[in-house]
Amino acid sequence: MVEKLMNVKDLKVRFKTEDGHVSTVNGVTFNVNEGETLAIVGESGSGKSVTSLALMGILPPNGEVYEGEMTFNGKNLRTLSKKDYRALRGNEISMIFQEPMTALNPVFTIGYQIRETLIVHYKMTKEQANIRGIEMLELVGIPDAEKVMGRFPHQLSGGMRQRVMIAIALSCNPRLLIADEPTTALDVTIQAQILTLMRNLKEKSNTSIMIITHDLGVVAELADRVIVMYAGEVVEEASVFELFKNPKHPYTKGLMASIPKVHDVVDDLYSIEGTVPNPTNMPSGCKFHPRCPLADVECKRIHPDLEYVSEGHAKRCIKV
Amino acid sequence: MKYFLQNLLKTIPVLLLITLIVFLLVRVTGDPVSLMLPETATDEERESLREALGFNDPLPVQYFTYLSDLVRGDFGESFRYNTDAFALVLERLPATFELAFASMIVAIIISIPLGILSAVKRNSFLDLFITGGAVLGKAMPSFWLGIMLILFLAVNTQIFPVSGRGGLLYLVLPAITLGTGIAAEMTRLIRSSMLEILGQDFIRTARSKGLKEALVVNKHAFRNALIPVVTIMALQTSTLVGGTLITETVFAWPGLGQLLVQAVNLRDMAVVQAATFLIAIFVILSNLIADLTYRLLDPRIKYD
Repeated sequence: MVEKLMNVKDLKVRFKTEDGHVSTVNGVTFNVNEGETLAIVGESGSGKSVTSLALMGILPPNGEVYEGEMTFNGKNLRTLSKKDYRALRGNEISMIFQEPMTALNPVFTIGYQIRETLIVHYKMTKEQANIRGIEMLELVGIPDAEKVMGRFPHQLSGGMRQRVMIAIALSCNPRLLIADEPTTALDVTIQAQILTLMRNLKEKSNTSIMIITHDLGVVAELADRVIVMYAGEVVEEASVFELFKNPKHPYTKGLMASIPKVHDVVDDLYSIEGTVPNPTNMPSGCKFHPRCPLADVECKRIHPDLEYVSEGHAKRCIKV
Repeated sequence: MKYFLQNLLKTIPVLLLITLIVFLLVRVTGDPVSLMLPETATDEERESLREALGFNDPLPVQYFTYLSDLVRGDFGESFRYNTDAFALVLERLPATFELAFASMIVAIIISIPLGILSAVKRNSFLDLFITGGAVLGKAMPSFWLGIMLILFLAVNTQIFPVSGRGGLLYLVLPAITLGTGIAAEMTRLIRSSMLEILGQDFIRTARSKGLKEALVVNKHAFRNALIPVVTIMALQTSTLVGGTLITETVFAWPGLGQLLVQAVNLRDMAVVQAATFLIAIFVILSNLIADLTYRLLDPRIKYD
């Protein structure tokens, strides 16, 4: 058994734009272990979604991985043929997206969209795929699964559609499920249901989950280990307990401080000053220094490496 | 079905309005009597013919007579051919339908693969070539294209007959002539519609499922992209029925457009009225069919 299921080393992704190449992921290193849930946390624009699309091999046409390694279950994803990559997608690695409202094709029935994956990867007949599809819908808690198979996406609520997406993603028993902000577009009550569903499903199978989110509540709920991304880099990595108990990087601390606490009465909510830098105009040195309360001249000059402070806990900062 | 019937009922006032407009237009374009009698005819002779044909009645009376005949299926007689005008029009219909259908097939065969290809390979040399070709196809006058086709493929190489209507071979050149312009418009439409759809989230989902790119493009994207294209196809089909005069003239194709223009020139009122009425019905029908096709293509559309 390979312990490290997905291994990403120094991954760099860039996009071709009218002003030349823009790099949005700048040397990301992490791994997802067998059976674990890894959360990738960061603001919008920190490169977390792009990283997941790169792993799936479905970057938009103008995007490319131009450096680094991506190994899944011992296979080098960068040298994999298109055909072998396809055989992996939706089968061994699958993905659910942020927007359940638009992620399903409006002109095909739920049944068609769930059968499709099974027919492609398992070479099932339509009847077999149908039976399995109904099973999957029941597994993700959709009532009247048989009826829902004949419905179109617009006839279901957002929460139901996200359940359908999860059913599709899990239908081929993937070894890795990438969930890109799976609850962001949902109502709070539905969010809780979807998170519970994901946790239960994980307990039943040995699927590893890579969950991308900016919601630290989701992290606390689901993750075993967390990596924090900022401006296309990993700035901190730790187990979920360690991270919440002992955050090192000022950015992580900022994120933690942004969570309102029930018992504190405050007038203003905390926020980290400024915004994520534009990839076309990255600051020198440490990329967080313009927003960092601890920054000094050194930070402007030195781009820190990711250093381990203790077993499994790494940070990219020279000040802490 | 209920929707279909409701809309069929709604077409009645539209048709009534069309009969009124055509009736009035035919009557303001001039007196048919002067063209029906020899130049040597006396004023008395003209007057008596006018009286006999009912042209001296007030317009509302004439219109009412026309309508009541129409309801009984009587479109009047052609001055020129001295036969039932409707029969004359009906006789031309098969030729018109044949050409319209063949042109549409040509347009579809050309535009669907080119439109998809140019969207998938957007901004490439191929895309530039296809969109350039589409502009050219749209800009090219159909009579010129028709004449060129006749020159190269009928006169010089004698692969196809020059003109007239007969078997399948006779159909090829006029169908290409008419189909090219429509293909050009449809190619551009399919391209932009596909481009929009290919950027949608569900296309990314389809890719993430490990489907072949061909399946993603031709099934997941194209089924969605087709929805706006169907409208244009329906509108084009209806213009093909009434407005193919130039091509019909170039190829001596005995269709409805040719008959209609002849009838207008000769002020052959009954034929003009019968032909426009039929064309109007066809336009309405093809729009209804487009509406129904929408429903098949897009489950989100509900009528009721």
